[in-house]
Amino acid sequence: MVTSIIRRLIQALFVILAMTIIVFIGVNVIGNPVDILINPDANQAERARVIAHYGLDQPIWKQYLMFLQGLLHGDFGDSFVYGRPALGLILERMPATLELAITALGIALVVGLPLGLYAGLYPKRVSSKLIMSASILGFSLPTFWVGLMLIMVFSVELGWLPTNGRGPTMELLGTQWSFLTGEGLRHLLLPAFNLALFKTSLILRLTRAGVQEVLPQDYIKFARAKGVREGRIIGVHVLKNLMIPVVTIIGLEFGSLIAFSVVTESIFAWPGMGKLIIDSINLLDRPVIVAYLMMMVVLFVVLNFIIDICYTILDPRVRLDAKA
Amino acid sequence: MTAKVLQRAAIALLGTIAIPAMASAQETPLTIGMSTTPTTLDPHEDSSAPNNATSRHIWDSLINLTGKSSNEPELATEWKAVDDTHWEFKLREGVKFHDGSDFNADDVVASLLRARDKPSQGFASYTRNITNVTAKDPLTIVIETKVPDPLLLNSVSRIRIISADCKDASVQDFDNGKCAIGTGAYSFVSYQPGSNLTVKRNDSYFAGPSHWSNVTLRFLPDDGARLASLLSNEIDIIETLPADGMERVASSGNLQIINGQSSRFAYLGMDVSRDVAAFATAADGSPLDKNPLKDVRVRKALLMSINRDAIVERIMQKNGTVADQFVAEGYAGHSDKVEKVAYDPAAAKALLAEAGYPEGFSLTLHGPAGRYVKDAEILQAVGQMFTRIGIKSKVEVLPWAMYSDKYSSGDFSFFFGAWGVNTGETTNPTVALVATRDEKKGTGRYNGGGISDPKIDEVLAKASSTLDEAERKPLLEELSTQTFNSLWLLPMHYENVVLGAKKSVSYTPRGDKYTLAYEVQPAK
Repeated sequence: MVTSIIRRLIQALFVILAMTIIVFIGVNVIGNPVDILINPDANQAERARVIAHYGLDQPIWKQYLMFLQGLLHGDFGDSFVYGRPALGLILERMPATLELAITALGIALVVGLPLGLYAGLYPKRVSSKLIMSASILGFSLPTFWVGLMLIMVFSVELGWLPTNGRGPTMELLGTQWSFLTGEGLRHLLLPAFNLALFKTSLILRLTRAGVQEVLPQDYIKFARAKGVREGRIIGVHVLKNLMIPVVTIIGLEFGSLIAFSVVTESIFAWPGMGKLIIDSINLLDRPVIVAYLMMMVVLFVVLNFIIDICYTILDPRVRLDAKA
Repeated sequence: MTAKVLQRAAIALLGTIAIPAMASAQETPLTIGMSTTPTTLDPHEDSSAPNNATSRHIWDSLINLTGKSSNEPELATEWKAVDDTHWEFKLREGVKFHDGSDFNADDVVASLLRARDKPSQGFASYTRNITNVTAKDPLTIVIETKVPDPLLLNSVSRIRIISADCKDASVQDFDNGKCAIGTGAYSFVSYQPGSNLTVKRNDSYFAGPSHWSNVTLRFLPDDGARLASLLSNEIDIIETLPADGMERVASSGNLQIINGQSSRFAYLGMDVSRDVAAFATAADGSPLDKNPLKDVRVRKALLMSINRDAIVERIMQKNGTVADQFVAEGYAGHSDKVEKVAYDPAAAKALLAEAGYPEGFSLTLHGPAGRYVKDAEILQAVGQMFTRIGIKSKVEVLPWAMYSDKYSSGDFSFFFGAWGVNTGETTNPTVALVATRDEKKGTGRYNGGGISDPKIDEVLAKASSTLDEAERKPLLEELSTQTFNSLWLLPMHYENVVLGAKKSVSYTPRGDKYTLAYEVQPAK
């Protein structure tokens, strides 16, 4: 297990290294961040001073080496735009994104899993067919459109929920969370539902497919013949066996919820990391882009690892060391 | 452990539900939806418009720059130029910072020098002429400039005065509120970067307390989100009302559209220096032996072919005003001698033939996408109008991040640009857009067309060092006359400031597009 962890971390390191190079070159190809950041009234000499201040007057390879050197000391560099350490900036936005992602995933699981199970067990019922048709909508409607519709209906027309923003927050474990306050929860509802819609449909369909695959298996028939209670058959024999693909998807989708909830965060003006990264790309704020992408690589590596551990719990035949 | 957390959460939940009910009847909250996001509360880090508009709520400057770009007393009550390079400012007596400490000359000295010496150099264009700032006595300061600087007052109006105790504070100290202490109309309550800033009324503000007890600035760059907040009555006033929402706002019973002219001047620039323009070819695509844009008749024909009224009316949905020169009437440097060029495609065609291009030619127009009001759509329309007089045109738009570098360094033959005339007078746009490019003098930074007009350079040099207002005025007008009668730039329009607001508030839009809570009034 330990060797497997180490091996994965080394792989992650290489991915990170490759990514920093890509970002460094990419941002340089797009344009010069100084032209975006600087006050238009600045003259050439002032512009040169700013360029030197950010170290952008150095050749690109030298900038890269300087960046690596900083990295060895745990310094990701200061954001060009915010004038503060890039890492701190990202960590500051992380709770907002995390609580949105976790809530969305929670909704997706609580709704998607039982409905999928139901639709799989009783595929011929009208209600199952309705559920499946609805899930197609969940799949195919674009997030931004659903988000705007949600705002139109629930905030503008009905006035039940706030249109956007995060609402008041409360401190817990040294960070600010909004799910701890009533107003905050109200703010959380619409964006979380918007994010959850696609994931719910995904989990629902996966579960249904899994159920239909497992049900005709011999061991289910045998369990039935043996007289095992239906509840136990579904709860243990069916559910546990269909969980492996579902867990994989949940893990990866959780990652993408955190990393790429840009659209939802923009529409609902949710001050999370997704909004930060899209702003940073627009402003060519290289230190933030690099730090963010590095964190995402680490996040996905860790998530994959957790998924693998879940496999071993769900299916005792899977062994981490042997596989690695 | 979990039980404890849950318990705490439950208590918190109850607590917040109770708060709104307890709010007193006299509360007069105001929420503003800003269309851009400030990067920090540190008022000297970066002088972008959202940062300066935000800092204006907490801090004051020596001079108040009004919505019409005139200078009025703020922390300084009076000022005079002692000689060509020394200015003396008398400071207001009895002003206190939000933390109760007294305001005096030390704070001014510390603030001006901090703005000048910050490594980010955000305020360099305003502090470049300041060699020294000294306190003559606790209520008098003297600013020494390198050269005679007629724009010093404008520059000083942009620099916020912080407490001298915070002169070495970092950006973080401002963002977490530790140093967010000013003398302004509102004091700091909380700041969530990228989301909102909350401030409350400063009851002892020297110019009288604000009508609003609590002000929240919400940063909502997404058009849909901003509009929805207004429609659902969460926000009292929003900046840059999206064109798609105008009808809804106009037809709703309790909302209104507030419209005013801004100082942002949009223009078309072109290569007037090279002998062969890279993106101008003969109609059949073969290279031209000379650059048609160097001929003033061609430039005039181009301008005549553009129906600017229609662009403003239809594409911009009246969110603009047709322009003929840098500044509108009422601003310093507006010239009556600028010849107005009217829309006349037939005459344009004739003029083009006279200039030796009866068959027209082919031209690529470059512009940014999403930077200015309807920028890409406007350029498309201009392209079509050119085609009507026989100029085969192709339109290419780029994201601002890619465009900004290229247009200012002269990579394009014909391009769309806009300039916020920050100072409300004409040397500011002339220095940047029209003056001959000169690294040493710092002129012509955005002169992407390679304009070099000795007469303009000469008048500009004179205007930039003349302190006397009466002497300066004709020079400023001369800059407009010379630029637009030679058509070095084709004037397009001024962008309008369009806000959406509840009918319960009234606001006079500012030329610089800032939305300041102190200037928002309850409707009578």
